[in-house]
Amino acid sequence: MNDTDLKYLWQTVNNQIAIGQTSDKTIMDNLIKRDISHVLSSMKPIKIFTLIAGMLWVFGLGFVLIVLTINAYEQVSLYFLYSAYFQVMLTAMAVILYIFQLNTLNRIDFDKPVIILQKKIINLKISTLKVTRILMLQLPFWTTFYWSESMFKNGTLALFIIQGTVTLSFTYLAIWLYFNLTFENADKWWFKLLLNGKEWEPLMTSIGILNDLEEEVISEKD
Amino acid sequence: MAKQNLHKTFHEIIERHKGLLFKVARTYCGKEEDRQDLIQEIRIQIWKSLPKYDAHFAITTWLYRISINVAISFYRKNRKSTHFPIAEKHPTVFDPLPNDFQEKFNLLERFIVELNEMDKALIMLYLEDKSYLEISEIMGITISNVGTKMGRIKEKLKKKFLNHKEN
Repeated sequence: MNDTDLKYLWQTVNNQIAIGQTSDKTIMDNLIKRDISHVLSSMKPIKIFTLIAGMLWVFGLGFVLIVLTINAYEQVSLYFLYSAYFQVMLTAMAVILYIFQLNTLNRIDFDKPVIILQKKIINLKISTLKVTRILMLQLPFWTTFYWSESMFKNGTLALFIIQGTVTLSFTYLAIWLYFNLTFENADKWWFKLLLNGKEWEPLMTSIGILNDLEEEVISEKD
Repeated sequence: MAKQNLHKTFHEIIERHKGLLFKVARTYCGKEEDRQDLIQEIRIQIWKSLPKYDAHFAITTWLYRISINVAISFYRKNRKSTHFPIAEKHPTVFDPLPNDFQEKFNLLERFIVELNEMDKALIMLYLEDKSYLEISEIMGITISNVGTKMGRIKEKLKKKFLNHKEN
């Protein structure tokens, strides 16, 4: 089949089927009304759940910590208090970034040229990795919240060595992951090991598509 | 644009270009219910983008941009359910199509499904008789790149038709 035959075939059949399509005015009016709620309805339940859980954690724990700081600062272990503060602060940053990204994704202009817009959408999706990177910075604080003054007064050398090694390792790991958990490393074994769940699949696909689009842009420049 | 005018323009655009929306939906979705969902999504985006419509662009260029962008995002989200049932009979309103015509169309549609999401858009625009200039404006690539890509896609399709014929 030559080009003309293909075009004729495509247009004849599709035009015939398209004629039968109806566009009900009432449905479209409802559509316009539904527009405002569409932002929320387009978000998957898992995203809404993550947001609610994150906010409850930040506000709940944040409230408890403020109450403790005001009413029981002398009685509470400062290691616990400050570790928890840092943990809440990092979670709050992640939640804010997550809301910002979801909002930007939902407000994107779809009338931009296809390849430019798709690249923007995928880049935004990939930037959700930033949230994970910020959350990784919490790692060392999970090893310091149970410290106490008595531990330092009465602890043995072995305890200090073990505790120090654990905290330093987690600190190093957190900083290393913060700088290396990027889409450029998506093909590394440790990246796949960390992000291999079902929820990460769309992100991994997006990374693959972005690589293809990057190639398109490079070949454009050539 | 006043809100009343906006509603009127929106209804007119949708009515006049319903075929365009439908063809994009057919290219990316195999199941009828998915197609209808996609058309709804496209309509929502048209409604949202309408106040910012730049009359410098042809209305079809603008509509294709929105429709393809929404279709690609929809396709990515619903990849598992967008496969086409093989040799689907298409309901036609007027003249029934000759069997071999329908068969060839099913084949063409099947081969298009096997292309990646960007190539799908390019071949659809080409089959709709859009010029390379229009395609480049819709897709955001240069005219020469459209030419190169079209050459590759046509070659792929040709091979698929040949393979099918030999088998």
